[in-house]
Amino acid sequence: MIKKDLEVLVSLQDIDLMIEETSEVEKLGFSVSGYTELRKAREELAATLSKPMLFRYERLRAKLKRAIVPVKNDICLGCFLRQPTSLGIKGREDEEIFTCENCGRMLYWLD
Amino acid sequence: MNQSELSRYFSEHLFIPQLKAKNKEQAISELLDLFVKEKYIRNREIVLEMLHQREKLGSTGIGKGVAIPHGRTTAASHVLIAFGKSDAGINFDAIDGKPVHLFFMVIAPPNDEGNTYLPILGALVTLLNEKNNRDMLAKVKSFAEFLPIITGE
Ligand SMILES: [Zn+2]
Repeated sequence: MIKKDLEVLVSLQDIDLMIEETSEVEKLGFSVSGYTELRKAREELAATLSKPMLFRYERLRAKLKRAIVPVKNDICLGCFLRQPTSLGIKGREDEEIFTCENCGRMLYWLD
Repeated sequence: MNQSELSRYFSEHLFIPQLKAKNKEQAISELLDLFVKEKYIRNREIVLEMLHQREKLGSTGIGKGVAIPHGRTTAASHVLIAFGKSDAGINFDAIDGKPVHLFFMVIAPPNDEGNTYLPILGALVTLLNEKNNRDMLAKVKSFAEFLPIITGE
């Protein structure tokens, strides 16, 4: 089950990425007949976040295109700045939301 | 993208010549588990959720016994493709209503270098539109037999 804020934010962004590329995948021959249903699922998921958290996500997204970016080998994949190893230890618990000091995006540790 | 470029996104570790899955849900899970086992994905639930949402948009069963479940996720760092085959066939709500035998699961990061994700999906669709390729893939038993069909050699 997805319940932590960070997981919800990642899922929300995953749906937003999907919505962005709907017309491209349709051109490739995939069915997108459930577009309205997907938009609805997106709004339902967004509504599970607190207003300030959703606002933070939307603002980052509007400004930087991606609100959350993966961190791999301690590197922020949004701007390639190295993150302190100690941050990753807490970051991987997915409980607290950390942001990249350089690009301001929220971080999601992959490994 | 040509076939030889496409072949680089496959791996022997992401290959199941005979899926155990009996239904759509199990097929998605079984393929996703390969990515988890290879430590390509840390949080299985997040990616499973993405794949479910993608099926809401429309079944990725594109017909003629082929499904290409796919999506970008913030929980991945590079593009990879898993392959699975079911001789018995699995009901995947495909657009032609037919059971699916060939599965290609494509997982991509939010941004990928050189933006290869959509060209990969396009190259897969083109490859699988050829009846000859589908027939050959339906017979593969090993990765060694599989890869030359993808590269077209
Ligand atoms: Zn950054």
